[in-house]
Amino acid sequence: MMRDTAETVLALLPSDVQYGDVRVVRRTHELVLVELDGPGEVGYDDSLGLGLRIVIGGHWGFAATHRLDPQGIDAVIAQAVGQARAAGGGGHVALGQPVTTRATWSSPMEVDPFLVPLSTKLDLLSATVKEASTAGPLVQQVEASVDFYRDEKVFANTEGALIEQTLTESGGGLMVNAGDGNDVQRRSFPQGVPRQIRGHRGDFATAGWEHVLAIGLPENAARVASEAVALLTAPQCPDEVTTLVAGSNQLAMVLHECAGHPMEADRALGTEASLAGGTYATPERRGNFRWGSEIVSAYADATIPGALGSYAYDDEGVPAQRTQLVKDGIFQGYMSGRESAAALGDEPTGASRADGWQRLPLVRMTNICLEPGESSLAEMIAGTKRGILVDTNRGFSIDDQRMSFRFQTEMGWEIRDGKIGRMLKNCTYQGVTPQFWAELDALGGPDEWKVHGVPSCNKGEPLQVAHVGHGTVPGRFQNVQVGR
Amino acid sequence: MSIDQAEVARALEILGDGTRLDILGENADLLRYAESEITAQHSERRLRVRVRINRDGRAAAGSLETLDPDAVRTLADRLSAALADLPATSSNAPESPSGTNSGSTAPATPEIVPAQSVLESDPAVRHQWFNTVRVGLDSDMKLGGAIRYDVMDRVVADSTGLFRAETLTKASIQAIAKQDGRSASVKLLHRDADQIPIGEIPGRLREALTPLPSVDAHHGTCRVLLKPQAVNSLIATYGYAVLGANAYATGRSLVAGRLGEKITSELITLVDDGCDADGLPSGFDAEGNVRRRTTLIDRGVLTGVVSDQRRAGLTGGVPTGHAVPDGWRFGGDPVPSHLLLAPGESTEDELLAEVGSGLVVNRLDYLRVLHPKETLVTGTTRDATYWAEDGKLVGWHPQLRFTFKMDDVMNAILGVGAVRERCDQTFMESIVVPSLLIDAGPLVLP
Repeated sequence: MMRDTAETVLALLPSDVQYGDVRVVRRTHELVLVELDGPGEVGYDDSLGLGLRIVIGGHWGFAATHRLDPQGIDAVIAQAVGQARAAGGGGHVALGQPVTTRATWSSPMEVDPFLVPLSTKLDLLSATVKEASTAGPLVQQVEASVDFYRDEKVFANTEGALIEQTLTESGGGLMVNAGDGNDVQRRSFPQGVPRQIRGHRGDFATAGWEHVLAIGLPENAARVASEAVALLTAPQCPDEVTTLVAGSNQLAMVLHECAGHPMEADRALGTEASLAGGTYATPERRGNFRWGSEIVSAYADATIPGALGSYAYDDEGVPAQRTQLVKDGIFQGYMSGRESAAALGDEPTGASRADGWQRLPLVRMTNICLEPGESSLAEMIAGTKRGILVDTNRGFSIDDQRMSFRFQTEMGWEIRDGKIGRMLKNCTYQGVTPQFWAELDALGGPDEWKVHGVPSCNKGEPLQVAHVGHGTVPGRFQNVQVGR
Repeated sequence: MSIDQAEVARALEILGDGTRLDILGENADLLRYAESEITAQHSERRLRVRVRINRDGRAAAGSLETLDPDAVRTLADRLSAALADLPATSSNAPESPSGTNSGSTAPATPEIVPAQSVLESDPAVRHQWFNTVRVGLDSDMKLGGAIRYDVMDRVVADSTGLFRAETLTKASIQAIAKQDGRSASVKLLHRDADQIPIGEIPGRLREALTPLPSVDAHHGTCRVLLKPQAVNSLIATYGYAVLGANAYATGRSLVAGRLGEKITSELITLVDDGCDADGLPSGFDAEGNVRRRTTLIDRGVLTGVVSDQRRAGLTGGVPTGHAVPDGWRFGGDPVPSHLLLAPGESTEDELLAEVGSGLVVNRLDYLRVLHPKETLVTGTTRDATYWAEDGKLVGWHPQLRFTFKMDDVMNAILGVGAVRERCDQTFMESIVVPSLLIDAGPLVLP
């Protein structure tokens, strides 16, 4: 039915349409969340609609609707056409080489999470909450959740492409808040979220139920909750310039903000300036801007099996691929869509994605990864005279050019004479992107490389939420301002 | 109204006892531009049907994008199966307590009149707005931003007979002008597009891009004049973190247990009023509770928090009308939705004169909470940021990052502007605020 709808829409486009593409998308989402006093949320979301994008007179028009009946289709075509014609003609949209792919693809999984009984999911989460509650009466809030998404997508364009994809994503996580009347501290597992979002937290992958089981929620719950309680009486992170050792999942978010967003081509072209902002990574800096120390190389790769930012084709029909962003510390290039790549004189990197049927495809990061180094977390700590180790993101802010940032972590530890010392709370660190990464002097090796799936990357107007991945290792930075 | 009451009634019948529907028919039209060129036009028609069933101490939720009986029946079967699997729990107590919202006793729905200027708009109007601003700027100024028109049909109905409906219109324009590496921004919004003074925007942008020299970054403390768009970020973030009933009840709010106590400068009076035309009015929340005018801070004293049905006990047993939609990406707790900060008596020139040597900030960007209990936040300045000497603007100051406790800032208010602006946030429908002059101390220039 979805394929028929897409083909019907294209067949009905008026003759002055220079280019058109249609996406028919069904998104299914299941959330199960358990709290201290029992199940807090069971939810099922189902969304089906189409988005139509056309060019007339060299101007874009985009319209989207949940109505897939003939009247709805006529209306959505009229809206998109009306917008493009209202621009008055005389424009020019360059998209590069035509996209004519015809393909079908489904993401791999072992166990379909939508077929796992609700009782099994509740049992897992209830066991997790029970373990967390053993940390004592100062545990005030526990939320354990699993989320599953399935996107069934049909893409077709006037150049001849017809692509059908099905992506299944699974994730789970735990959040514990402890309080003693004076202070409130949070611990999350296996990674943090920036806000008090219900569900949608934890580690996600383009995979099935097997990914949730591998997270180890019940096995880690008591430790995580105990850490939340211990943070209440932990000393504050000191204000000082020191050595910072960042865990793998903490570095994922730093990479996301310092390399992921700024190396999205639309930011470099100014089209996100009004909302998200611009970037320091301007086109003339490709190949000559020192982004970090010589030991750091970063890339975007939408082909990593199981990673949350993986797929076969983007929402313009361009194949997923690997793109070098930073090589030996030097900024190399961008993630791009067809239009932004053409504007830069590049080939598109297959990074144009839309959040559901109702949104316009934007340049979105895929899986942003660090190439592993030769050290290890243990070696970094052992080789540090004085510093702090930080883990699990709690919040951050970065300026509109993606330069000045401040991150806060859920917890930290002193490093003294090569050994882990006291636990620290309210640890923050700040820096300016190229100066911070220039101080990187050690990266974990291949055996510490791990992909973290983040289902909450925000961008665009109207706001779009993307699911992205980050392959990272622990890293050590010198001369970092830390504090609370 | 694009939502048919008979279809709603049929859906409620299919879903059965304990059901609440929160339905949103969205019609959004957007024009985006950058570097003085149109970059995107976007039109979206969407129906979101959020379903919540509370039955026998069990709760399940779902959403779909149609009221088609077959689709509703499929979801009903799935939710019923989930309810059968769930254990009963006290946290899912039945809603609509003590007649606050049951069909027969619910207070009348406040009337919000939609604006024809938005209901009847077409793409040409947005092009006209864009062209008006673009041609009004100097030739070397580049324009970026967006123009958006929204029509939102809302219905909240439940199986006890409650039915509330309203149509909300909204028009907004954000215009950012760049020149010589500097930028200035204006954002205007209103329920009625005809009330937005488009013709004034080029002049405001040209004035903000004043040809002053750049000055070196200052360090340390100084007085800071926060203009309304900057105050918008501060007050919205403060309200979100501090003034919700659940944060108050669980101790996560800084002001927990301090009702009746002084919590801010006496110059601060803050209310939440969903029906005040100075904001963006809307009559009821996601549970169908009528939005009630709630004085949160009266001359510095904490007088209230905002609540939903679950936390109505903190607000006299009646929810203030601040329940958030199921699955809201900013959490599940009640938070302010329509904040209004009382104006003062100072003109903008008088506030600037009081700055002496200090900073003037037009916009605070990416303000994020680092520690909610301590109201510790971090964010950066954005667009026009100036340095003042002897009460006069003398130069453009480099952008900078502030990390501060909102509590400290709210207790260091020296002056409040007489003129307010209507603003919004992704997590708050409207915020109406004047400029605030902050004493030297809590805002440290790094």
